[in-house]
Formats: sequence, structure tokens, C-alpha cells
Amino acid sequence: MTSTPRLEARGASKTFGPSTVLEDAHLVVQPGEIHSLVGQNGSGKSTLVKILTGYHAPDSGMTLEVDGRPLALPVQWRAAQAAGVSVVHQDMGLLDHLTVSENVGIGGFARKRLTGRIDWRRQDEVAAGILERLEIPVHPRTLVADLAPAHRAGVAIARALRGTVPGEGLMVLDEATRALPREDLARIHDLLRRVVDSGTAVLMVSHNLEEVLTTSQRVTVLRDGRVAGAGLPTDELTEADLARLMLGKTVDAVTRVPSVDPLPDGPAAEVADLEVDGRPVSITVRRGEVVGLTGLPGTGFEKVPYLLAGATRARTGTVTTPTGRVDLTRASVSETLRAGIALVPERRVRDGLAVDLSVRDNLALPSLRRRGSPWLVRRGWQAELTDDAVRRLGIKARSGDDLVKELSGGNQQKVLFAKWLSTDPDLLVLHEPTQAVDVGARADLLRAIGDAAAAGRGVLLVSTEPTDLVEICDRVLVLHPGLEPRELHTDDPDVLLEAVYNVPTTTGATHA
Amino acid sequence: MPETTVDHLVSDDETSQRILADDGVVAPAPAQGERPRRGGAGLLRTAASKYALIGVWALMALYFYSQVPDTFGTSGTFSSIFGSQQVLVFLAMSALVTLVVGEFDLSVAAMMGITATVIPVLAGVHGMHIVPACLIGVGAAVLAGAVNAFFVVVLDVSSFVVTLGMATLLTGVAQMVSGSTIVSVSSPGLAKIAIGDVLGMPVSFWYGIALAVLIAYVLAWTPLGRSMVFVGANAEVARLAGIRVQRVRFGAYVTAGLLAGLAGLVLVATVGGFDSSTSNSYLLPALAAVFLGTAVVQPGAFNPIGTMVAIYFLTTGIFGLQLLGYAGWIQNVFYGAGLVVAVALAKVVRDRSRAR
Repeated sequence: MTSTPRLEARGASKTFGPSTVLEDAHLVVQPGEIHSLVGQNGSGKSTLVKILTGYHAPDSGMTLEVDGRPLALPVQWRAAQAAGVSVVHQDMGLLDHLTVSENVGIGGFARKRLTGRIDWRRQDEVAAGILERLEIPVHPRTLVADLAPAHRAGVAIARALRGTVPGEGLMVLDEATRALPREDLARIHDLLRRVVDSGTAVLMVSHNLEEVLTTSQRVTVLRDGRVAGAGLPTDELTEADLARLMLGKTVDAVTRVPSVDPLPDGPAAEVADLEVDGRPVSITVRRGEVVGLTGLPGTGFEKVPYLLAGATRARTGTVTTPTGRVDLTRASVSETLRAGIALVPERRVRDGLAVDLSVRDNLALPSLRRRGSPWLVRRGWQAELTDDAVRRLGIKARSGDDLVKELSGGNQQKVLFAKWLSTDPDLLVLHEPTQAVDVGARADLLRAIGDAAAAGRGVLLVSTEPTDLVEICDRVLVLHPGLEPRELHTDDPDVLLEAVYNVPTTTGATHA
Repeated sequence: MPETTVDHLVSDDETSQRILADDGVVAPAPAQGERPRRGGAGLLRTAASKYALIGVWALMALYFYSQVPDTFGTSGTFSSIFGSQQVLVFLAMSALVTLVVGEFDLSVAAMMGITATVIPVLAGVHGMHIVPACLIGVGAAVLAGAVNAFFVVVLDVSSFVVTLGMATLLTGVAQMVSGSTIVSVSSPGLAKIAIGDVLGMPVSFWYGIALAVLIAYVLAWTPLGRSMVFVGANAEVARLAGIRVQRVRFGAYVTAGLLAGLAGLVLVATVGGFDSSTSNSYLLPALAAVFLGTAVVQPGAFNPIGTMVAIYFLTTGIFGLQLLGYAGWIQNVFYGAGLVVAVALAKVVRDRSRAR
């Protein structure tokens, strides 16, 4: 390691309105190392990366140097690029219907000097050169759509390194590996090692702690917008250490006394032989029970809520509730709804709420068919439902006529929750219910989940938030692709995190 | 109360969209029935944003009256303005039905044209009885709507492409069956159902009112209508709520065809004939009225009552300006400027009244 860091960012802060998402964070990356940046959702790591790539302007007081030369803030992407910074985004930004050569060349095609048109032959040579350097066995004229996942990632990395001199520069991998199958991860990790062996630095943002420990030399941990661990050498760390650093103890615990013996009147829902990633999974949720379901971000467990609700067709599987039995290979959303299954989806703005319509309209939507006759939907029950929801969940709205988009995120989430609770379901399936809400709203929501269970419903909480899961759930199922779910009874988020990130099979990659 | 730190604010995926406006302080749930109300000024602004166009309409009428009291201030003017726009009302409602569910239909005017051509050709030229002629004429428009629906909803082709193609195709077909001439039919029975006098207005005026009220009722008070609004607002939300989104979209196109066909029927019944080459000149006024209607009554939303107000607002303006001596060009200028200015103003007022 040389004395001049490849990248040195200090005093990075970012506030959005009244909330601070990043406070005086610093990050130092040395040449020739893979440096990981980890943190929970909302820890500020994405914000930090977005400051580095010029998407967000930092608050004043930040300094940024690349190879000892200061970079003007907010980051102008062209200047950063000229200084050798490149980025691979999580979706990799590849255009499937174009060739490898075109994908590598986008934004800086080799052009003929005279006419200015693209010199395809030279472009192919440039692409082939980078691919060869990185030892990616792909022909430049192949369509990206025809590539294997590992090679797609390779092409994205080749594009990022296109303009850099070997041995210089910094490549930011923004969760670019999270969609890759495990067997491909090892190949990408080998590729990354080749990249850094030349002296180029890699900043890797990842949720996969095993990946972080095996591939990177040092790691910076963010928690609640602050640096919780700066440039820690990974060979002295275990996954549990990392998890503890990421988690800290900052969130007010919501105390739900998990019902020691759930209401004895049988199951709220029995899910049988539901195929998730090629393996049948069976889950029973009893009345009055809150069951957690978790796993690594980006793996099969996140599909379960949509399979259960009939929003995605399942290959195999049935679900039985006291109200009815549904064949999930043929079910539509309205059928599962009639069988007493309600899904509170993730991404409230995209899938959960019609933000341009009023709170009352949104709340009433799932009940229209049940409570309205074909020729008249009365307003009375809609108003009652709205008042009830506002009171029970503490929704801060002036009236039911407020448009959903006028509410804050936490209140929107409460509306979404109340909307589905109002259908009086046997099984309430929640997907990331506390995503992007503040602590107060989170506490209200978790309390409401507990109340729903106490009223005799079954709740399936599908989440990647370990604190939510241990606080509110009676038991948590950890689902790894292709394996039997592992059941945990714990109050310790560290134990849960370790179970999530400690995948039983290994990639065969050696510990760095 | 101590200030609570705000964490877990920002998700990884859509940082900028998810920034919260919460003050971060855990407020106690508001007591039952006690909610902050809008102040008087807020109410006034809400009213202003909802009914500003009606105010402008009244001012405009007053202005014309002060300028040309002898011509503008007569009952003849009144019936000219309100008794002449039935075709536009039906056509605008046709466009509205697709816009509500988030679709776009550029072929409504051409569907109207095919009906207005087929009826006189069958009844006038071929001597068919007027009733089956009308049924076939309207049926042709419904069929065209179903074809639109098939391509857009089932095959998932861009609605712009499909309905633009349908509009052009139908215009050509209409020219073919009419031999590119003005076709006419004289049927006293048909005329009677359109221009018979009811309370001093042609009966078709009341059809238009009834249609707008019916659509307003369906949209606001029936499960079907609420589903349509949600499909238009966010199709994924609607789907996850168990609404059969594809069916709703399909139905909207077919209904648009039916209403456009009825517009054609009213047109033939009122005028007695049709020049098929003019049909597409009806498209922009109808769309303009629907969009202008989003500035009134339910600001920001496609609503039939607002569309009615918009139609008569535009007609009043044009009629008054013509009385003041402006020539035919004023129609397009007024339609275009009125649309942009009114919708922009309504949005500005609405945004202001929301700012807290």
C-alpha cells in the first residue's frame, strides 16, 4: 500500500429536509485493495455512493480527493471519470438487445476522425482488448441477452474499466453482484482480484457478509448515517462482528410480549408445497401468531408474499385458511382475497397505493366489491373505515380527503396497512412493512401488527429487518435457496443476522 | 418530549423518492374525532381551485353581454350555445372513458365518423329501414372499439399506434362506403329523437346531460367506477387489490366505441347527413374539452361534469368572440389557448393550496 490513498472522502454529510441520513462520514480506499462498504438499509451507504457518483450533492464541509488531487463538490461525473472513478450499478445497466461491443462502448465510442461516425472495427478491437485483459471469454459481437449471468457482470465491469489505465482508477460496485447465482459469484470474485492485482482499487457495496469477508481486504461499516467501523481489516473479523457493527443498538425496541401459547383454535393458514426456487416449502401460521420469514436480500424468500397472494403464479402449492382453500397455481388476487389472504406489498408508492387519490378511496379499494352493491357504493362505511384507521394507527392526515401523496412516508405506510387490515383477513402477509419509515411510525406499525395477531389473525412478516423480526415475531423462518427453512426462536438480532448471512453451502472461495 | 433521532429513513433503491417529511417526533395519536381542519382561507382556495373556470365563464359571459347586449343577451344565444354541442358531449365522454382508466384513444372521432357515414349510406342510399341501419352503424363503432381493445389490451401494442392506425383506417373506410361524397338521409323519426323540443332545448341536449351524470355516478358510486379510477391511477395497485385490470381496460375501449357510435347517431339525427372527410376535425375539440375538464369540479382528475363545463365554456367563448366580429380562425386559437392556460392555472392554484 502506498501512502496516498486512491480515494479519500471526509466530512460527508447529507440532510434531506429535517432528517440527516449521513453525518460526517469518511471513507478511505487504498490502491490495489477491494474495500467493502456495508450497512443496513437506511444506514446511508447508498447516499454516500450517490454522493461519490454525483447523484446527490453533499452538505457543505465535505472534502474528496482522488490520488491526492481534490475533486470539486458536488461531484461532476465527467471530472470524476477523468480522475479514474467508474461505477457498476446494481442492475448493471446493460442493454440486452445490443452487442457486447456496443454495451462496452456506450458513452465513448471509438469514432472515425473524419466523419465522426462510429468506427465499429476499432470499437470491437477496444472491447476485445478490455475483455482479454480481464480474461472474460466473450466475443464482442455477441448479444448481451445471450450471455450467462457471470459474463454479463463481466461485461458491465469491462465497460466501467474501459477508459482507465490498467493499475489506476477506482471502480465502485454498487451491489452489482447481488443478483448473481452463487456459482457465478466465485468467478466474479476472481475477476475482481485480477482487477485489483494490477493496482486498481475496488469499492464494493454488498449485503452479503460472506462475500465481504472473503473477497475484500478492508471494510467500512455505516450505521445510522455514521461510520461505525472505518477501514477494518477483514481477516480479523467474523460475520457476527460485522453484523453487530451494522446493527448497533439504536432502534427503540417495540415490546410485544409474544403470546407464549398462541390462541388454540388452529391454523390461520397452511401453506403446502409452495415451490420457491425449485424447492417446495410448507409454512403453517396459527391464529394469533406472527411468523417471520427472511433470507438474503435478492433471493427467493421475497417472492413468497406475491406467490401467496396470487399476484405471481406458483409452480406448485396450495394455501388453506378457515375461509377456503386456494390452488396457487391457478389463483387470481381476487380469489386469494376471498379466501382471507391479504398482501401488504413492498414499495408502497409503486405497488401499494394510488398516491394521486385520497386516503379514503385507497382505504376502501379492497372492500368495494364486498361492501358495495354493483350499483351503489355508499359513503358511510368508507367514512367509518377511514375514521377507524386514522384513530387506530394514528395516521396524521387532515381528513380522509387528503391525497395519499400529501402524507409522509410513515403515514402512507399506515394507510397501506390499514387498507389491507380492513378486509378482515385470516392471514395478513406483510412485505417489508417498516421500509423507509421513521421510528415513531415504525413503532405504531409494529404495535398494529401485534394487535392484528391478538385479534386472532395469522401474520406472516416477510422482511430483511432483523430488529423488526425478533421484536414482533413468535418465530422466524430463515429461507435459503434450495434448503429447508430454518426455524429460530430468538430475541437477539445478531443471532438472526448470523443465520441469514451464514449460508450453509460455501462458494469454495478462500478467505482473503 | 426529547427529539427522537430519525433512522431507517432511506431505502437503497429509490433514495430521493423516499425522503420523509415526518418531523420524527412520536406524536400521540389524535383523539377521537379531533382532527385539524382546514382554515377558512384554505377552504376558499380549495373552492377557487375547483370552480375557478366557472367563475371565468361567468365573467366572460358578463363581458360579452356588456359589449353586445342586443345579440348576446338573447334566449337565442342561450339555445345556440347549449343546444349545439351534443355531438361533442358524446364524443368527449367517449374519450373520457378511456382516459379515466389510463388509456388513450385517438380513434374516437373516426369511430363516430364511421357510424355517421354507415347510417345514411344504408338508410339513404340502399333504402334500409332506419332502425337496423342505426344498429349496424353503432355496431360498427363498437366493433372498432373491440378491435382497438384486442390490439392494445390483449396483444399489448402501444395504444397510440393502434388507435392512430384505427382512426386513419376508419376514415378511409368511411370514404369508401360513402364514395367520398356527402351522404344524407331524411328520416323524420330519426330527427325527432334528436331535435324534438323538451323544455325549450333539443332533446339530445338532455341526453348529453344524462350521459355525463350517469358516467359521473358510475365513476364515483359504483365498484366498477372505483375500479376504473384505480386502474387509471395505478394499475399495479389495482391488480394487487383483486381488480381484473385487463377486463376493465378492454371494457373501456369497447365503451368508447359505443359512445362514439352514439355520437355519430346524434350527429346524423341532428344534421341529416355527414361528410366523412371531416370526422377527424372533431377529435381535438373533444380531447381539449376532456383535458380542460380536469381543471374543474375534481381538479386533477378526469371527470364528466368538468368536461361538460369545459365544453360549454369553450362554446360560450367562441360564440361571444364571433359575435364581436372575429372570424372563424378564433375557434382554434381560443380552444388551444384556453386549454393550456386554464389547466395550467388550475394546477398552480392547486399546488399552492396544498403547500403547508
